Amino acid sequence: MLYDLELIKVGKIYDNGTPAVVDFDLAVVKGEFIAFLGPSGCGKTTTLRMIAGFEQISSGTIRVRGSAINDLPPERRPTSMIFQNYALFPHMTVRRNIGYGLEVKGLSAKQRAAKVDHLLATLSLEDVADKRPDKLSGGQRQRIALARGLAVEPEILLLDEPLGALDANLRKTIQAELKILQKTLGITFVFVTHAQSEALSLSDRIVVMNQGRIEQISPPHQLYTRPDTPFVARFIGRNTILDGTVKGVVGDQVLLETALGSLSGRANGPLVGGQAAKIVIPAEAMEARAAGPAGPVSRSSVNVVGATVRRSDVVGHVSHIAVALPTGTPVALEGHVDKYPPDAFPAGGDIVLTWKAAEATVIPAA
Amino acid sequence: MQSTLIKPALATYTALFLLFLYAPFVVLAILSFQTGPEGGPQFPIIEWSTYWYRHLLGLVPPSRIAPLPIDESLLRSLGLAFMTMVVSTVLGVASAQAFRTRFAGSGIVFYLIVLGMMVPGVLVGLGMSLVANALGIDRHWWSTAFVLHVVYTFPFAFLVMLAIFNRFDESVEEASWSLGVPPGRTFRKVTFPLIFPGVLSAMLFAFTLSYDEFSRTLFASGRDLTLPLAIYGTFSVEIHPNVFAFGVLTTLFSFALLAVYAALMTLSIRRAKRVALQEEAA
Repeated sequence: MLYDLELIKVGKIYDNGTPAVVDFDLAVVKGEFIAFLGPSGCGKTTTLRMIAGFEQISSGTIRVRGSAINDLPPERRPTSMIFQNYALFPHMTVRRNIGYGLEVKGLSAKQRAAKVDHLLATLSLEDVADKRPDKLSGGQRQRIALARGLAVEPEILLLDEPLGALDANLRKTIQAELKILQKTLGITFVFVTHAQSEALSLSDRIVVMNQGRIEQISPPHQLYTRPDTPFVARFIGRNTILDGTVKGVVGDQVLLETALGSLSGRANGPLVGGQAAKIVIPAEAMEARAAGPAGPVSRSSVNVVGATVRRSDVVGHVSHIAVALPTGTPVALEGHVDKYPPDAFPAGGDIVLTWKAAEATVIPAA
Repeated sequence: MQSTLIKPALATYTALFLLFLYAPFVVLAILSFQTGPEGGPQFPIIEWSTYWYRHLLGLVPPSRIAPLPIDESLLRSLGLAFMTMVVSTVLGVASAQAFRTRFAGSGIVFYLIVLGMMVPGVLVGLGMSLVANALGIDRHWWSTAFVLHVVYTFPFAFLVMLAIFNRFDESVEEASWSLGVPPGRTFRKVTFPLIFPGVLSAMLFAFTLSYDEFSRTLFASGRDLTLPLAIYGTFSVEIHPNVFAFGVLTTLFSFALLAVYAALMTLSIRRAKRVALQEEAA
């Protein structure tokens, strides 16, 4: 299979010896939307810049459509990058900005103009075509940067936090436009972000990075429901994470001995009896119930633990209940007021939390 | 309480500063309108006249006062300043560009470059003339003196460009490369237009510093004198107000240079402001 983009054991070590990226492996098919997600300093931007050719790789290989591009300078790589600050040319009009990369492509002036006009129309920039970019709004500048990057018809478009500089409303709109544009063009997008909502809603697969290493590569949903590592469990979504020791494994079900008793969940990764492990419970999987006199007990398919209500608030039609487990671990629940009536969970009251074992994930502790 | 004292103090200071800055020029300008040829370079003004200006341009009947030997030396000085400006600015831009990435020995190279503006001019001039003698090289304004002028003005151009590149947003260059445009064309189409205000300043520095350079030129320029040397030469005989008239004209020329610079700068700054706004918004 011919991949659009392959990174094979790519590593980057800074001049002072600090490793920035370690053993980065990724294969991307044509038209895929990939997000690099992670906290700042995790190496995601460095990796993107290595693909673009702005940073030399220290080890490994980068291939585009089968041929290695490691030794090519940026201008000879079939990639195009969109910068967080857009990096538009302030001394050129919008039209010249977009047509700039075409000037070295050996097209006639007529062909160039036609192409630029087409992009201006596609990205609704006709009205501002002859203005300078600095006179324009953030959203317009963002679209100019996109048009300029797409004009040279790259195999792969690299985007470095392209929505970071926009306000929240605009970000949502542009996010949607970006997704449609990418699907229409069928170009591979590699997108760097530290905002998980962006990554989760835009990408086909997400590469979660931490301290220069890949933690997990998964489609958004799987990342959310089946974290591979404790870092991902903490970084993505709102999960409650409890330590424990594996008591037994049956099929993909694991029984874990924790401070709250025996809890079961689905195994993710190699687990054997006696091993230290963590159980990850998504906030969405938990349900709160008033503690009855004969409370329910854990079964293999449903986990039940006691907890204490700390606070409960209603915002609009949503109840927010802050709960503490006996270990002191805080858990935040939310649900429709019909499900969690405001007065049913008074502060200080005892309740039980239940969740289906299949919705919890057990992962190795380290 | 304090500010009531500080304000007048600062005002006085500023007034004195302006006085010392402009008073010599104003005195020269007034005396340049002394009558001639009998009027001398001192107060009182016997009669207002433009005699010395006409004398300068050779429009008065010959008198015992020789015309200033400026026509050739002026051309020499302008030529030298122009050559120096071009070479120093090109070197300044190129070396500042090199300093954008740290390289082995960059610290030492930096000090070696900056040394050129630190070392005493007379010594360097003397040294150059000794070296030229030892090697059997003729001294000329366009050879030995020119080299010294470049050594002297290049650090100024270099420091100006270093400051400009320090604030330069490199992502526009990366964007250009990433669009398939090679570094050479990127420099011409993107980098240079954006650093142009700095280049202008570097050019102005190099030109004006070279134009009135005296001490380095004194020993290194050989037989043909540059303007500052020619004027100094006339002082040793007798001073007439024609020197003042020339001083006024040359100052006006400097002002004209500054005006051109200011005009070009305003255009560039207007552009730079837009860049700044863009960065702020981003």
